[in-house]
Amino acid sequence: MSQPTGRSGVEQTNRSTADQTDRDAADQTDRDAADRTDRGTESGYRDAQPSYRTTVRNPRDGFGHLLRAEWTKLRSVRSSVRCLLATILLTVLVTPLISASSSTNANEAPHFTDQFTFVHQPMAGDGTVVARVSSQLNSQEWARAGLMIKQNTTAGSPYAAIMVTPRHGVRLQANFDTDIPGPDLGAPRWLRLTRSGAVITGSESTDGTTWHAVGTVRVGALAPTAEIGMFVASPPVLRVTKTSGGSSTSLVLSLGAATFDHVTIQPNAPQQFPGWSELMLNGGAGTKGGPPANVPTDGDGPFTAGDGPFTVHGAGDVAGYGIPSFPVGDDDIVVNSLSGVQLGLLAVIALGVLFAAGEYKTGMIRTTFAATPRRRRVLGAKAIVVGVAVFVAGLVASLTAFYIAQPVLRRNGYQPPAYPHPTLADGTVLRAVVGTALFLAVLAVFSLSVGVILKRSARAIALVVGLVLVPQIVASLVPSLGVANWINRLTPTAGLAIQHTRPRFDYAIAPWGGFAVLCGYAAVALVVAIWLVRRRDA
Amino acid sequence: MTSAAAMRMEWTKLRTVPSTAWSIVALIALTVATGSLLMWSLGTTHCASHCEQDMPQLSLSGVYLAQLAIVVLAALAITSEYDTMMIRTTLAARPRRLTVLGAKAAVVTATVLVTSAIAVVATFVVGRGIPVDGYLPLSLADEATRRAYFGTVAYLGLIALFSVGVGALVRHTAGAITTMIALLYVAPIIAQLVSDERWRHRIEKYAPMSSGLAIQATTHLDRLPIRPWYGLGVLAAYAAAALLLGAVAFLVRDA
Repeated sequence: MSQPTGRSGVEQTNRSTADQTDRDAADQTDRDAADRTDRGTESGYRDAQPSYRTTVRNPRDGFGHLLRAEWTKLRSVRSSVRCLLATILLTVLVTPLISASSSTNANEAPHFTDQFTFVHQPMAGDGTVVARVSSQLNSQEWARAGLMIKQNTTAGSPYAAIMVTPRHGVRLQANFDTDIPGPDLGAPRWLRLTRSGAVITGSESTDGTTWHAVGTVRVGALAPTAEIGMFVASPPVLRVTKTSGGSSTSLVLSLGAATFDHVTIQPNAPQQFPGWSELMLNGGAGTKGGPPANVPTDGDGPFTAGDGPFTVHGAGDVAGYGIPSFPVGDDDIVVNSLSGVQLGLLAVIALGVLFAAGEYKTGMIRTTFAATPRRRRVLGAKAIVVGVAVFVAGLVASLTAFYIAQPVLRRNGYQPPAYPHPTLADGTVLRAVVGTALFLAVLAVFSLSVGVILKRSARAIALVVGLVLVPQIVASLVPSLGVANWINRLTPTAGLAIQHTRPRFDYAIAPWGGFAVLCGYAAVALVVAIWLVRRRDA
Repeated sequence: MTSAAAMRMEWTKLRTVPSTAWSIVALIALTVATGSLLMWSLGTTHCASHCEQDMPQLSLSGVYLAQLAIVVLAALAITSEYDTMMIRTTLAARPRRLTVLGAKAAVVTATVLVTSAIAVVATFVVGRGIPVDGYLPLSLADEATRRAYFGTVAYLGLIALFSVGVGALVRHTAGAITTMIALLYVAPIIAQLVSDERWRHRIEKYAPMSSGLAIQATTHLDRLPIRPWYGLGVLAAYAAAALLLGAVAFLVRDA
């Protein structure tokens, strides 16, 4: 029979499994607690050993207290405070060095390209030109074929044009800076350009009878008599060559071709047309060395005043800043200003690892688990505390670095229009700056988990660095772009993609996609750590 | 007390710690596996007329990962004694501190040199077996190739000395390893991000890892930021400075 000997804080009972049913209410709570912690031990053991339990409810059992306990540990240990400060200092201090040694001359090049084949004739006054683009070669995603009205045949003179593209639908563009997207449809397509003074209206149609206006643009400097006609262009294709230690890009000419029919000119004032003549314009940025040599003169010329069909070949681009196909500056200056984090992340790795491995080294972990036997919650609280602390430090670091770098970069030539000033109002820039702090926070949780799994700081730090820092160096050495891209996609390094703010040839993964890869690593490591910590002795 | 006895003592400590065996296995495995994988991944589609690639350098690029194992091994050899306070026992047994530090550095470096030599030879043998159509096969007949392979062993030995020095200076395991990693890896990554060619060369010339690994280059020697043996000299200067500072700190500070 159970003989309760005391009702004070400590209870000693000599009990057997047979009479567990006639316990009183006070016993009930104690035994439940005992059962919970003794799960897995044999009942015979409990028969032989008197259990020794407190009846005082632990007032500090809530998760909030757990968080506070972990926060106290974090802020009162010298090395972790040092690590947090080092994260900020290292990130911020290396920033001026990186930005001061980066410069560009992108703005010294002409701000437009005016290179295309123009089959044209002059039209006096207002009027309309209509044509059907019956087919277009998919030579480049931004290849253009359509109708244009242009001041004269001098490169760089004002123009308005309506065109089809292989991948980006119908567009109405003007003056190297205006781009109005139409329906996302390609050739065959009817196009129409109407001039009314300085106002040009572009329309498109499937059948030549029902017309939809794409938009209206104003070409202020248009002379009374302007050149009108068909044009074809095809921007160069970017080719990347990967070598050990880096990669280089080169532009390879692409040759566009399109066939026009049903070409008609309807001037408001009756006039005599001289007939079509073909011209290869060549001006602006990236056109040194004359017109592309391999553009064939078209077999069906000389063009007559008939309505086609005409096949026109052309290479080059008609674009400037503001038109998507125009190559903007190559450097991602937001990444440049935030890359001090490459140094700061070392402190984050050390902090995360030490926050776990440090407790194993000193044996503190036993005290922690004695105070809170729910090990999963301890680990959860640790992850939250270290994640939030690093996020805050990381945000301070990335904001400071961002604002320190901007004036330096501006002085070194990173100016509009090639490099518009990045501001936090821009969603992608905000994503990069806040994302840098998120990257560090998740990296801290990953390091913490690896620290728990390996228990020793030395190998945990080496492993995390081997996964985060070294792949970047190896990827730059690999001679194959494919392998380099896979390294940048599959290792936790991918998380740094969240800093990207513009498309670049060597970006292997989308910003959030890369961040998700890092989160995946952290999640797997945390699950393994939780699993291990429950079944392993501390 | 002779220094031979001190070295035997250090050797006993080093070989009876399980992390040493792990580091040695990791050093060899990472060197051979990374180099072989990269050689195996070579394609010929991007070659215009003939494929140009510094094959010895590519086959040896496993050292970027493998040196982490050396940093851990060499730093732990000294900092773990501070963790466990074994250092007090060591110094009680052998009060001549310079002898102790010298013996430690000698034993660790000798271990690393032997292991690296095995790893480098294994990399060469495995690399020879990988078919690389269109590329020059690895051959020791080339003087530059011999220099690359021999120099890599020397490089790894210097990294060990460097790490012992930093370990003696910092004394804290995580701190020493993080400091070493920062000194080695951060400069090359920063150099990649710098768009100014002159600055990039300047960083690569004076950073310990990129200057030291110039020893691996066998092609385009004129484009290197620093000549191969001079580069190894830069790393040796870093190692010497770290050992000197570490020795001074070891002599002056209480254990």
